[in-house]
Amino acid sequence: MTKTFLSAKNLYKSFDGRKAVDRVSFSIRTGEIFGLLGPNGAGKTTTIRILSTVLEADRGDVIIGGYSIRENPDAIRSLIGVCPQELALYEELSAVDNLVFFGRMVGLNGREAKAQAAARLKLVGLTGRAKGRVDKFSGGMKRRVNLAVSLMGHPKLLFMDEPTVGIDPQSRNNIYRTIEKLRDKGMTILYTTHYMEEANRLCDRVAIIDAGRIIAMDTPLALRSRIGPPEQVTLEDVFLKLTGRRLRD
Amino acid sequence: MIKPLLVALHEIRIYLRDRGDLAFSLLLPVVTFALMYGAFGGQDTFHSTAHVVNEDQGGAYSNLLLERLEEEDSLEVNLLSAREADSKLDRADLLLVLYIPHGFSDAVASSEQGQLVFKQRGNGGDEGQVVASIVRSAVDELAQEFQVHAQVSEALEGTGVGQEQINVTVEQLIKEERQELTVTVGEETLGGRTDPVEAFLPTIVTMYVLFAVTLTARVLVEERRRGTLERLLTTRIGVGQLFAGKLLAFCSRGFIQTLILLGLAYAVFQMFTPLSFIQSLVIALVFIAAASGIGLLISSVARTEDQATWIAVVFTMTMVILGGTFFEIPEGGVMSVLSKISFNTYANDALKAIINEGSSLADVGMQLAVLAGVALVALPLGRLLFKVLPGGR
Repeated sequence: MTKTFLSAKNLYKSFDGRKAVDRVSFSIRTGEIFGLLGPNGAGKTTTIRILSTVLEADRGDVIIGGYSIRENPDAIRSLIGVCPQELALYEELSAVDNLVFFGRMVGLNGREAKAQAAARLKLVGLTGRAKGRVDKFSGGMKRRVNLAVSLMGHPKLLFMDEPTVGIDPQSRNNIYRTIEKLRDKGMTILYTTHYMEEANRLCDRVAIIDAGRIIAMDTPLALRSRIGPPEQVTLEDVFLKLTGRRLRD
Repeated sequence: MIKPLLVALHEIRIYLRDRGDLAFSLLLPVVTFALMYGAFGGQDTFHSTAHVVNEDQGGAYSNLLLERLEEEDSLEVNLLSAREADSKLDRADLLLVLYIPHGFSDAVASSEQGQLVFKQRGNGGDEGQVVASIVRSAVDELAQEFQVHAQVSEALEGTGVGQEQINVTVEQLIKEERQELTVTVGEETLGGRTDPVEAFLPTIVTMYVLFAVTLTARVLVEERRRGTLERLLTTRIGVGQLFAGKLLAFCSRGFIQTLILLGLAYAVFQMFTPLSFIQSLVIALVFIAAASGIGLLISSVARTEDQATWIAVVFTMTMVILGGTFFEIPEGGVMSVLSKISFNTYANDALKAIINEGSSLADVGMQLAVLAGVALVALPLGRLLFKVLPGGR
C-alpha cells in the first residue's frame, strides 16, 4: 500500500466571518496527482495557501511528509514547491535569473541553482530563451517559467494552482507533458483547475469543493460512474450536477 | 546570513536592469548638484548686472565710467540701445537702467555739471538699488578725481609745469592711492560661515535621502502585487532575512546616490577635508539606514502601492518641514519642540556640525545614536506589523 504523503484534517478558515474553507479533510498518497476542482470562490486557492504555509488555518491541521504544519512549518517548506495561479516572477529579470534566485531561496548553493535552472528550463522547453527577459515572453512562456521556478530544489510535493489558465494549446500541452514526466518520477502533486478534461487526463483522484466544503472525492472514473455510464458521461457533467448551474461570483 | 545578502544583490540586480530607473536615480544627484551650483555658484557676495545705455558714444568720460564699472567685481555691464532699454523697462523685464546722455563727456570736460540718469520702475527693486549705489559710488570717485585734476591744474597755473605732465602725475598718484587704500573695510561673520552651499548642502542631502523612504515603502507591496512575496514565503527564507536583505539593498542604493552628491560637492566646492568627507558619509549612511527602516515599516502596513507612496510622502514632508530644511527653526518656540520629533533634525544638525563647524563624529554622538535608534526600532517594528497584519507571516 502506498504511503500517505499529505493529510489535511478538518481545515477551517474564515475571512470576516465568511467561511472560505469549512472542515476540509483529504489525503494524498506519495506519487499521486490529486485534483481539487471547484467553481470560482469555492476555496481551492485558500486551501493551497494553507497547505503551503502562507496562511494559517483557524482550525485543523496538516501533516506533510510526517511534519505538522502547526509545529514545523519550516520543515514543510523544505518539501514543497508552489506554482501559484498568478504569475509570481520578476519580469525585469531573465528566466534563468528568476530560477537561480528562487533556487537560492530554497537553499541551493550557486552551482546547484544554476545546474537545476538549466535542467528545469529544458524540461519546460525554454532552454533557448533562458537569458531572455520574462517581460518579453508570451503568456504561455511565462506560465512555463512559473512552473519551472516551482520545481527548483527538488520538491517532493508540488502545489499547482490553475497552471494552464489563459494560455495557448501548445504551451498547455507542454505543461501536461511536464506534469506527466514529474508523475513518472514519483512526484506528489496537488492540482487545481477549472478544466475538467485536464483533471480527467492528469489526476489519479479528484475532490470537488464548493462553498469551502468537499462534496465528492474519488477517481475520475468512479465519479463519472456515479451519474451514468462512464463512457457517456464527462467529468464536467458530474461537476455541474454536484455544484449546480448557478453562476458564481 | 547569506540569504539577506542574496536578497540585496537580487534587488540591486533588478535596479540595474531597469535602465530608466538607474539613469534617473544616478542623474538625480547630479541634477540636484547642478541646481545647487546654478543657484549659488559658490558665491557668498553680491553679484549683479548694470544695464547701461551710452548715448555719449566715443566720449572720453563716459568710456572711463564704463571702464570703472567693469572693474567692479560685483558688477557685470550690459550695454543696451535706448530703444531696447525703454522697451524692457516698459515690459518690466528690467527694473533699472543707467542712461549716459549725449554730451556727457563734453559737459564734464568743460567743468559743467554732467548728469547721469537712472530710469527705473518703482524703486528699481532691491537689487537695482544696490546696483545704483555702486554706480553712484563709481561716479563720486570719478568726480573727486576730476576735482583733484582741476585743483592741481589751478594751483600750478603759471608755474611753467605743462598740463600733460600734471595729468600724468595726478593720474599716477590716484592710481597708487587706489591700489594702497588708506582705509579698508573688513568683514567679520557671526554665527558660522555663510557660504550658501555649505548652509544648504546638509539639508539637501537629508531631504534627498528621505526620498528613499518613498521607494522603500513600495518594495514589499510591489512584491505582494506581483505574487513573489507569497512565493518567497513558501521558500526557506525567513521574513526577518527578507527584511534585512531589502534594508541592505536600499541602504546601498541610497549610499551610492549620496556619495555622488557629496563627492561632487567635495570636488567642485572643495568644502571637505578627507576626514570630514568620510565623517559626512558615515552620518549619511546611518540616516539612510533609518530612512530605509521607516520605509520598510510603511511597506509592512500599506496594502497598495498608492497607499505606500502617500503615507511615505506625508511622512517625508512632515520630517522635512519639522527638520528645518527650508528655514531655520528658532530656539525656544513650539516649532523647536516639534522639530525634536523629526529625525531629519538630528541628521541636519550632525551634518551641519561636521561640514560647517569642523566638528568630529564624537561631537555628534547623540544625533548618531538617535538615527541608529530609529533604524533599530523601525526594522523589528515593521517585522512585527508584517506578522500581525492580514496576509503576513
